Amino acid sequence: MNINGGIRSMVEYTPKQKTFLFQKGRIFILVGVVILSFLVYTVYLFSLQVVNGYIYKKRAEDVARRVITIPVQRGEIYDRRYDVPLVLNIDSFAVDIIPGELNEENLSDVIHDLSQLISIPEEEIRKKIPENYRHIFRPIEIKDRVPFETISYLAERINDFPGVTWHSKPIRSYLETDSISHVIGYVGNITLEELQVLYNKGYDVRAVLGKNGVEKEYDMILRGQEGKRFRTVDVKGRRVEEEDDGEEVPPVLGKNIVLTIDRNIQEICEKALGARMGSVLVLKPATGEILAMVSYPWYDPNLFYTEEGQNVYTKLSLDPQFPFLNRTIQSTYAPASVFKTIMSVAVLEEEAFPPDRKIVCEGSIIYGDRVFNCHKKTGHGPLDLRAALAESCDIYFFTIGRDYLGIDRIIDYSKKFGLGESTGIDLPGEVKGLVPGPKWKESVFHTKWLGGDTMNNSIGQGYLTVTPLQLANTIAAIVNDGVIYKPHVLKEIRDPISGKILETTEPKVLLNTSIRKETFKKIKENMRSVITEGTAKVVITTDAVKIAGKTGTGEVGLKDRWNSWFAAYAPYNAPNPEDQIVVVVMVEASNEWEWWAPKAANIIFQAIFAHQTYEEAVETLEAWYMLPTTRFQE
Amino acid sequence: MRTRSLFGFDLILFFSTMALLIIGILFIYSSSVSSTGIVFSREYIRQIIWAGTGFILVFTVIFIGYDRFQPWSPYIYASSVLLLIITLLFGQPINGAKSWLGILDFGIQPSEFTKIAVILFLAGYYTRSRNRMQYPSHFLIGFFIILIPVFLVLLQPDMGTAIVYIPIFLIMSFVGGVPVRYVIFVFITGLLLIILSLLPAWQDHIVERDIPFLTIVDNPTFIQYSLLSLGVITLTALAGYFLMKKKYFYWIIYVFLIVFLSLAGSSIARMVLKEYQIMRLIVFLNPGVDPKGAGWNIIQSITAVGSGGFFGKGFLKGTQSHYRYLPQQSTDFIFSIISEEWGFLGGFLVFSLFVTIMIRGLLIIQTIKDSYAVLVGSGVVAMLLFHFVVNIGMAMGIMPITGIPLFFLSYGGSSLWTAMLGIGLLLSIHLKRYSY
Repeated sequence: MNINGGIRSMVEYTPKQKTFLFQKGRIFILVGVVILSFLVYTVYLFSLQVVNGYIYKKRAEDVARRVITIPVQRGEIYDRRYDVPLVLNIDSFAVDIIPGELNEENLSDVIHDLSQLISIPEEEIRKKIPENYRHIFRPIEIKDRVPFETISYLAERINDFPGVTWHSKPIRSYLETDSISHVIGYVGNITLEELQVLYNKGYDVRAVLGKNGVEKEYDMILRGQEGKRFRTVDVKGRRVEEEDDGEEVPPVLGKNIVLTIDRNIQEICEKALGARMGSVLVLKPATGEILAMVSYPWYDPNLFYTEEGQNVYTKLSLDPQFPFLNRTIQSTYAPASVFKTIMSVAVLEEEAFPPDRKIVCEGSIIYGDRVFNCHKKTGHGPLDLRAALAESCDIYFFTIGRDYLGIDRIIDYSKKFGLGESTGIDLPGEVKGLVPGPKWKESVFHTKWLGGDTMNNSIGQGYLTVTPLQLANTIAAIVNDGVIYKPHVLKEIRDPISGKILETTEPKVLLNTSIRKETFKKIKENMRSVITEGTAKVVITTDAVKIAGKTGTGEVGLKDRWNSWFAAYAPYNAPNPEDQIVVVVMVEASNEWEWWAPKAANIIFQAIFAHQTYEEAVETLEAWYMLPTTRFQE
Repeated sequence: MRTRSLFGFDLILFFSTMALLIIGILFIYSSSVSSTGIVFSREYIRQIIWAGTGFILVFTVIFIGYDRFQPWSPYIYASSVLLLIITLLFGQPINGAKSWLGILDFGIQPSEFTKIAVILFLAGYYTRSRNRMQYPSHFLIGFFIILIPVFLVLLQPDMGTAIVYIPIFLIMSFVGGVPVRYVIFVFITGLLLIILSLLPAWQDHIVERDIPFLTIVDNPTFIQYSLLSLGVITLTALAGYFLMKKKYFYWIIYVFLIVFLSLAGSSIARMVLKEYQIMRLIVFLNPGVDPKGAGWNIIQSITAVGSGGFFGKGFLKGTQSHYRYLPQQSTDFIFSIISEEWGFLGGFLVFSLFVTIMIRGLLIIQTIKDSYAVLVGSGVVAMLLFHFVVNIGMAMGIMPITGIPLFFLSYGGSSLWTAMLGIGLLLSIHLKRYSY
């Protein structure tokens, strides 16, 4: 055979013989290569699986394990009676897309069909699942507040909608709307800015959180804690049955919140204020509880959860009347004559001027090159402290402030009553107001504080500004002989299932003025005489309770229009401080001048102490003039 | 005579192959079981059929005898090349490559069988021309023999399979007695070519910053001038070599030709190769740069292998595989599922079986006097070794993704039959070791 010959010649031929032997050597080199690869791979496999195996074990578990959140019901909100909720949750759904389950072919179809079904533009869907999301196996929310019918339609035709899913996303329903919305606030989807701040507190991208009012302030309590359930899933995110699947972090239900608000008083105040820009506060001085908090105009948060929600929101934000503003804590005004109560306290406590000594009011005084007028152009004649407060004489307090107290003591007493400082109420966005002084003026205007500034400040005008709540606190301090309790709207936190009280807000002293009791006794008498013989005599007609208070009429630069204040408490000289309430009404100068604040307070006191409704109170007082607004004519 | 040889049947080789086949079928079954326990694929049954017919092939080859193929090898080679051309013309594109030739419901990958054809033909050529082993022309013709199928397979395009022919050629030439400098020449040129082709992509996607030297390599003007000057130097050296017969001219040509060829080849390769192909080749260096795309397979495979630990998660209990994070688990990534479920022990077993087969094969040809047998045997071992190193390296994340199956284990008739033909040849050589 040819081959045999070939081999033979190879063996015989010496040079080839050498080559042949070399070949054998080369085979052993090859054996070495094989063994080397074997050793290298064995060592590498060992390091991968045994030495570093724990890294990959963890990774394998992480990849295959997906956290499923168990949604929890947001807590409900009640008023102080804890019978009917003011806010509860309504079932609603959100439609999601899991981009990873879509591929290039069906993507367009699904987006098109879905856009038809839930009636939002295709571009908007595309915007929510950008190119770099396309591999993600996590549901991306496309639209919320999708009605149940749409979801059932989707569920029946789920094969036509690959990658589309939905989750339950209850919407808040505010049963009691109107003015309470300023207290309760509203909820909304978390924004990116909020997420950056709140991420570490356990909020995620899909979180719904309180944006205002109690919903915001007590968001953590209301929202509870979402549960976590660990599911082993495959690459498509499909659930895989596993024995140890039960592992989960149970959800913590959102707590119910009971407000200090009394919805009857709230309604009375709301109607008493009517459609006027302004606010009403009813405070229980013995504890600091807010019984009513009305600010007009208000808004209906339910509208945010409708189709046009965003438009409604935008429109309200741009409304020149600022319906989002809670005027009781977020607006500041000159306290006007109400400030004279603080002036009176200062005079008495400092014994700067004998209370019995009279100052003659001639209608105006001249200081420097300016004429300072009293509100009564003809003059009040000679007045002592009591009469000056009752008549709200400006000349008296101009003189006292400029010549006997001085700006430093006025500032001192303003601060004793908490003006210029936040009250720490448990609602977001409170403003502080301003207690001006020489230092302040120097730093802001670079001019000296003048005697005229002290005079203006003495009658609550000028740069001095306060919130209605700060004035309510001032009155509360007088009622409590110098103690101000921190105002609050949270009465208690209750378990959502058992209704058990989990936490009650205890009264907390905000300020103690350390002013003598006798001073307050005197002031209370003086405030009572405002009603019995002074400025408020003609308006406060109620017989239901004895009231003590102070009117205020603030100059704001509008012709024939003034801010109208009335800050009062009742009952006067009550044996049990628990029974007493403070009412502060503020009607802005933008409304027709009606001297409305004391008139509204008159009805509020009547209705509360006679246990009447607003209409009944109006009837009792025969104050038919109280019903002219269109709102109550129907 | 043949009857007597049957007693010398190589049991080690035979049973190692058998063991690998059984492991393969077990894990093809495992890969077809879903996480809910449903068997959704019948691949393992097909694999059993292919394994069975594969044994028939083994015995057929033994029955025929490896030496009988030698006179027929030119025809086998020619028909393989023809088949590759037919595949290119009429093949069914699967996953973007026309590498399948369908006959009714039954498809084959001619590029797999071509490996055996090339081994047989190249061995025949080297045996016939063994007196001219020293000459470069002889080596070049050998290189040309493999270049034809390489070129045809590249056109499919199936780069992974095309590359396999190169190590087969190099090892066969090495064993066949071609001067080592030739083998090294091709080896270094090829290596340099691959590196130069991938460097720009490596810089863009893995390093993600500019490296001044690499920017030069990527610059077309620079390449043109370099090629020109390299060519001039080589030609001058060539002239010098022929005129003066000085040995150092030879080495100048040697070095400059390597640089010239690899530089020219790499610029062509960069033009031909698509972005995703280059990405697949380099992404193993840092799979994190494209974790959802090209890096996905590698990350999932490393995770599967690594999470197997020493003892593994147990048969049918792999998480990466059964939750289908691991792609192509029955074919390219079969080793990942084995080492996930059987751990280091399973991986070591697979290594040992492969190494046993390869060393056994080398020891068989080491004892034999027939140079055709030596060449065929070394070709088969070269093929097995390359597949083993590249596929398992890929599963462990230290080799590029090339789509090369793991012989005996990966699902697929063509690659299995190719491996079985190789085993048949080795067994046949062993049986006939006393014939010459």
